[in-house]
Amino acid sequence: MPRRPLRAAGALLVAGALVLTACTGGSDEPAPTSSAAADPDASVVIRLVLEPGNLDIRQTAGAALDQILIDNVYQGLVARTADQEIVPSLASDYEVSEDGLTYTFELREGVTFHDGQELTPDDVVWSLETRRDTPEWRDSSRLANVESITADGQTITLTLSEPDSTLLWNLTGRAGIVLKEGDEVDYQTDANGTGPFVLDDWLQGDSITFVRNETYWGEPAGVAEVVFDYIPDNQAALNAALAGEVDVLTGFDATLGDQVEEGGDFELVLGESTDKGTLAFNQTEDSPLADQRVRQAIRQAIDHEAFIEAAQSGQTLYGPIPSLDPGHEDLSDVAPYEPEAARELLAEADAEDLELTLTIPNFYPTTIPQILVSNLNEVGITLEVESVDFPTWLNDVYTNKDYELSFVLHTEAHDFENWANPDYYFTYDNPEVQDLYAQSVAATDPAEAEALLAEAARIVSEDAAADWLYNGASVLAVGTNISNMPSTNVNERLGLAEITKSDG
Amino acid sequence: MIRYALTRLALLLLGLFVASVVIFLTLRVLPGDIAQVIAGQNATPEQVTAIRASLGLDAPLPAQYLDWIGGVFRGDLGSSLLTGTPVVTELAEKARVTVPLGILAMTFALLISAPLGVLSALQRGRALGTGLTVGAQTIAAVPVVWAGMMLVVVFAVWLGWLPAQGFPRAGWADPAAALRALLLPALTIGAVEGAMLMRFVRSATLQAIGQDYVRTAAAKGLTRTDALLRHGLPNVGLSVISVLGLQVAGIIVGAVVIEELFSLPGIGRMLVDDVQNRNLPMVQGELLALTGFVLIVGFLVDLLHRSIDPRQREAA
Repeated sequence: MPRRPLRAAGALLVAGALVLTACTGGSDEPAPTSSAAADPDASVVIRLVLEPGNLDIRQTAGAALDQILIDNVYQGLVARTADQEIVPSLASDYEVSEDGLTYTFELREGVTFHDGQELTPDDVVWSLETRRDTPEWRDSSRLANVESITADGQTITLTLSEPDSTLLWNLTGRAGIVLKEGDEVDYQTDANGTGPFVLDDWLQGDSITFVRNETYWGEPAGVAEVVFDYIPDNQAALNAALAGEVDVLTGFDATLGDQVEEGGDFELVLGESTDKGTLAFNQTEDSPLADQRVRQAIRQAIDHEAFIEAAQSGQTLYGPIPSLDPGHEDLSDVAPYEPEAARELLAEADAEDLELTLTIPNFYPTTIPQILVSNLNEVGITLEVESVDFPTWLNDVYTNKDYELSFVLHTEAHDFENWANPDYYFTYDNPEVQDLYAQSVAATDPAEAEALLAEAARIVSEDAAADWLYNGASVLAVGTNISNMPSTNVNERLGLAEITKSDG
Repeated sequence: MIRYALTRLALLLLGLFVASVVIFLTLRVLPGDIAQVIAGQNATPEQVTAIRASLGLDAPLPAQYLDWIGGVFRGDLGSSLLTGTPVVTELAEKARVTVPLGILAMTFALLISAPLGVLSALQRGRALGTGLTVGAQTIAAVPVVWAGMMLVVVFAVWLGWLPAQGFPRAGWADPAAALRALLLPALTIGAVEGAMLMRFVRSATLQAIGQDYVRTAAAKGLTRTDALLRHGLPNVGLSVISVLGLQVAGIIVGAVVIEELFSLPGIGRMLVDDVQNRNLPMVQGELLALTGFVLIVGFLVDLLHRSIDPRQREAA
């Protein structure tokens, strides 16, 4: 029987189409080398994980906004360096009075916003006052101690009702951002700041592009363009790097380090961060976790090294303050890994065969609940894992405090205040800690403020107010042709003014 | 025919109405709201309440529904609570990625399934036929994500022919780049959907081979293959058209996964992001538009089917 030429024409067509496009459009980029000089016209593509929902720096929460917008686009009177030092920014200089009640800033002259409007002392006064008086604006309460803000020529004076050792740091964040008074920019989709980069384009669901601010008051940015490419999946990000589509990967997975370094074009970089993997205990009255012994038992049942090994990055953390923040000390003696001791504590508390539920947002690695389930099972606790999306976590755990155990990564730096706030979802209420924290805030000597924080942090840990599974690292893969890429706490802040790229 | 069309149209509108209520209510069951998302992890309850009021989320549910559905009748599907962009604008923007992606995927699926399905039917019981069937079973069972990863590793990482992810920022102003960006994602969906479709084509063809008219044609001197191609295939085509209508929904679901994997700024990824942000006006507008699209495709397929198939016309 003769056969009609009904061949696998479809498959051939597909292959043909692929070959054709490959021939017409394939780009052959030269392999980067590190020896070449920095290219001032370069465009750097940086992979980020989490795309912000909008760009409203006034109101919308989330490190995704702070990370890219503060320092690059928006600025305050002061800024923080990659090493977490506080330095002058829009103020050329500043002074704090002996009694800690008067802060004087000398505002730079000749600073313009990206749309060409001039920065005036009145803009600074308006920005800080509006922030303080608008509760919907983020971090508005951080200026609560500021009684008055006045301008005399280029001199801006903040007068406080009582000393506040956290104020300068707060001014490096959302609370201190200087906007143009009466600006008509649509803050939700656009931006108008004074920083070294200008927002050029936001392609929602894909990328945000900055270009160099050519009229910047300071040293101009080292590259002409920065593209933030939002790639949620780490494997996809790895492929993008290997295909030469991105220059830097942030929020990367250190276990993929060998693969990204294989071709020699990338280097895995681990930086310190203030990411605190926080296992919160609901310790309200009728909860089984109201008993300190049960909480302490859970802490001692957990093998903290296992999280570091699984992630191949980060370090252990046994208290609320990470190593980058003031008040940190090694508290590993408070909750050593001793399953036997944990079992004894549980027996003592009459809490054997405990069944608990862990509420955890679904974007964290599954190794975290896996380790917890197996560790707690060792001491007779059955852990049920409820994986939820983030808004559900915000609703059930954060707002309604309807949980037993909860895990989230608290990324914010200098956030001890939550342990001194009995209304926070941690449900931790210790007047002694609250008092120590208040004293620390009121202290005018930084060393004293730090010592008081350390003292409070030790109590929080001894009370087993929560467990800290690990202090995460900033995991980056940086192209070998990229210089000056920040690596410390980049989830919080990613100042890119100094980054350069050699053209190879 | 006209009466039939009108009846189907009425059913379509009823379907859309029911869908709008179901979409609206199920989204309200989701825990958490956008005010909490905007306010984040350090907000006081007062802050959340203030944001909620400023977004108009404190109105009672029936009022919110009427407000929304009233807008729909005026052609206004609502707008984003985060950016103020109208749903329609946003959909049109993202459709530039998802519609070509769907068409390409469908084309790949057809190019793969039609010839291979018929071939494997003709070769039934022989090595080639069995091989094709087993191959299709295997590919249809492969998770889309895994298939996509494999294609990326081969065509983007090893061979460097196609981009591993992303869509050109210039969009369709650079048609070659835009098309290249969509090839791997479309091939991923197309291969998996195509493998499923191929099994369908094969069984439809086998059924046609067994029909009287094919046997009669063969008896009158045509080869079995010729008889099948001339008389059987039009019938196979009919059933494939019906299934294609259903595949549209499958391709939209595939787009949700694939756009995330290839980080494409399309409707699927937008939908996921909007759910994650509890941007409910966006989600309900998008879902209603997608449901409408699927229902309309079904409607058109029914009409097409009826106008092609003489048996259905006579039965009416």
